[in-house]
Amino acid sequence: MLDFKQSYFELFGLPEKFDIDFTKLNEKFRELQAKYHPDRFVNGSDNERLVAVQTTGLINEANETLKSSRLRARYLLTLKGVDFDDEIDTTSDGAFLMHQMEIREALEEVSNEQDPLARIDDIAQEISGEADALKDDFVEQLELGNLDAAKEAVLKMKFFERLCQESKSITEKLEDELF
Amino acid sequence: MALFQISEPGQSAPLGEQEKFLAAGIDLGTTNSLVATVRDSGTAETVADEQGNSLLPSVVRYFEDGTTEIGTTAINAQLDNIGNTISSAKRLLGRAVEDIKTLGGSLPYKFANNDSSVPQMVTVAGNVTAIEVSAEILKTLKNRVEDELDGPLKGVVITVPAYFDDAQRQATKDAARLADLNVFRLLNEPTAAAVAYGLDHKEELDERIIAVYDLGGGTFDISILKLNKGVFEVMATGGDSALGGDDFDHAIAEWMLQESGSDLHHHAISEARRVKEALSDSEEVNVELADWQGTITRAQFDEMVAPLVKKTLLACRRALRDADLSKEQVHDVVMVGGSTRMPIIRQSVGEFFNKPPLVDIDPDKVVAIGAALQADVLAGNKPDEEMLLLDVIPLSLGLETYGGLVEKVIARNTTIPITRAQEFTTFKDDQTAMTVHILQGERETVEENRSLAKFALKGIPPMVAGAARIKVTFQVDADGLLNVEAEEETTGAKSNIEVKPSYGLSDNEIEGMIKDSMDNAQADMEARRLREQKVEADRTLEALDSAMKSDADTMLNDDEIKILLEARENLQNIKDNSEDSAEVKSAIKNMEKVAEFYVARRMDDNVKTAMQGQSVSDFADR
Repeated sequence: MLDFKQSYFELFGLPEKFDIDFTKLNEKFRELQAKYHPDRFVNGSDNERLVAVQTTGLINEANETLKSSRLRARYLLTLKGVDFDDEIDTTSDGAFLMHQMEIREALEEVSNEQDPLARIDDIAQEISGEADALKDDFVEQLELGNLDAAKEAVLKMKFFERLCQESKSITEKLEDELF
Repeated sequence: MALFQISEPGQSAPLGEQEKFLAAGIDLGTTNSLVATVRDSGTAETVADEQGNSLLPSVVRYFEDGTTEIGTTAINAQLDNIGNTISSAKRLLGRAVEDIKTLGGSLPYKFANNDSSVPQMVTVAGNVTAIEVSAEILKTLKNRVEDELDGPLKGVVITVPAYFDDAQRQATKDAARLADLNVFRLLNEPTAAAVAYGLDHKEELDERIIAVYDLGGGTFDISILKLNKGVFEVMATGGDSALGGDDFDHAIAEWMLQESGSDLHHHAISEARRVKEALSDSEEVNVELADWQGTITRAQFDEMVAPLVKKTLLACRRALRDADLSKEQVHDVVMVGGSTRMPIIRQSVGEFFNKPPLVDIDPDKVVAIGAALQADVLAGNKPDEEMLLLDVIPLSLGLETYGGLVEKVIARNTTIPITRAQEFTTFKDDQTAMTVHILQGERETVEENRSLAKFALKGIPPMVAGAARIKVTFQVDADGLLNVEAEEETTGAKSNIEVKPSYGLSDNEIEGMIKDSMDNAQADMEARRLREQKVEADRTLEALDSAMKSDADTMLNDDEIKILLEARENLQNIKDNSEDSAEVKSAIKNMEKVAEFYVARRMDDNVKTAMQGQSVSDFADR
């Protein structure tokens, strides 16, 4: 039976840090699934099947968390005792919020541009560049032990996640119109 | 490896460890359903009925006495018996009464007007739900495969569309329970199709991306799967539930009506279907509508249906985007559904993905075949098989929060099974109870999503607003079915629910149906016995009549004739009026007993006649 107390990193045999080996994560994920998945227990007792559902539930949750850079960063903070709800907690960095609004406005203007697809590609690139810089910032602050600053970086990641989704859905709409 | 040895058909396997567990895969379709099983040879094949048809039309006809007729015979009766003949029940599986209003326009059934949460259709046999109709289809397939394999099934894999929500999956499982089937697993249809092609056994690549293009009679589905060392993941699904082969028929029919100036819609549709199928093999086909004649070329047809084809390709683009993939990254394209036989579809899909689609397996059978292969593995017939099929949930699950908004707890496309907890708190001071409202869908507000269930958590200790810690845990199992538990963490007050009552059937209702169906089965059996005994009675009466006609005057005196005729009248009477097979049976027995002397006398007479003119030696030689 799987040890439910170990951390997600321990579960996948990964060192507890932000940069992880995705190949190893994938391999270990499949290995654990192959061993604990409910399909392996279709002829087992009710209890065995329930344990299988709970175990793979944990494996999947751990995998989803480690796959996403924002959730992984947040989880690293949780392990260090910094727990927060990013649905409620938010950043109070005025300059950052102002910049977010500028990008948002640029996204809304895209359809009026001469070559909307080229323009949206530019914006998307800018967004992903800034998101990457935020990840570097998080790693640095975490290493320095500045947990508050690291938490601030995680809260900001959420904004970029939304911007990414938005630029993607605008791209989709533009492409569908041209198809 | 040698745990399960394959034995030649006819040659009985030695007792013990070589016994094969009987398992089957079932494709429960909107228009047609199929069952397949893995043969001793190791290949999966669909099982046909006595007439050799693998496809069982998903149509059930109800009779006044509660008996049913399923498949082709039911279809044939559909025109004159429309209200009592239910088709396309799959569209109603897991649907609420309110959903019927949006779907209902196109359905020819009368729905019962009562407070059942599950829509009921009115038939001469009483009200029936889509679950019961589906159970009839499953029972037919179960009997078919058990007759073929000569034994009871250990379990089955039933396929469902990848986009089926919690309620639709639950309804499918309920139907299986009514049909007395042990479900190993519900499997997504596109995954089954990929399994049928053995794509999980191709080793040359670490990771394969598979697109499954499924164009049926009335629905179109596109699914993007990722396969990695035997692990299947559904990455994205899309499609159009109101686009299918029927729309291609309509396109031809409209053209015919326009060209001919006729208004024979019904004839045009059936002629259009013939023309469409013929165009799959010929470049040009003659068309007839009443006294109008014309020809249509494949190029003309392709032009007519171009907008429909484009619609499917647009859905393919969206699904790829949802999966964050480009067309170039797709390794295999699998074709499913009878409508993918059209050359224009094969060609357009091939051009879109820039590779020829897989079409070797009959597109009508491919899903059932894949399900059979998976059922064989789950039954334990292939202990060395590594195949593991991971699915994702097709729609996000969430909770109602303040202001009628929905907070997502598990996002769509999350791999299942999954357990996830979310914390909430109270909004008012001294709040002691809280309603947990579970929703499924992608929208922001409660009204725009599908309500799955509501339950109350009571016994929260009075505290100031925001102080209570309420943990709501969602657990989704491998079939995509949800269980929710809420707990107040400071006191441990608990409440949980297996999600289904909002518009599914409760366990009590299911048990009631199982009991009814068992009663019905008994009634069915009695009805059959009665019919058999009455046929037997007719046979006895006829035999007596023909005997008496030929020799009553020579062999019987008046008293004997009177006795026989009395017994005859008694039997005729009971046969005409009785509803009890035992009564008919004993009347036949009585008749036979009364006629015993006559039968004996006739036998003697026959022997005498037979021996006349033959010497004893003739007999000795025999």
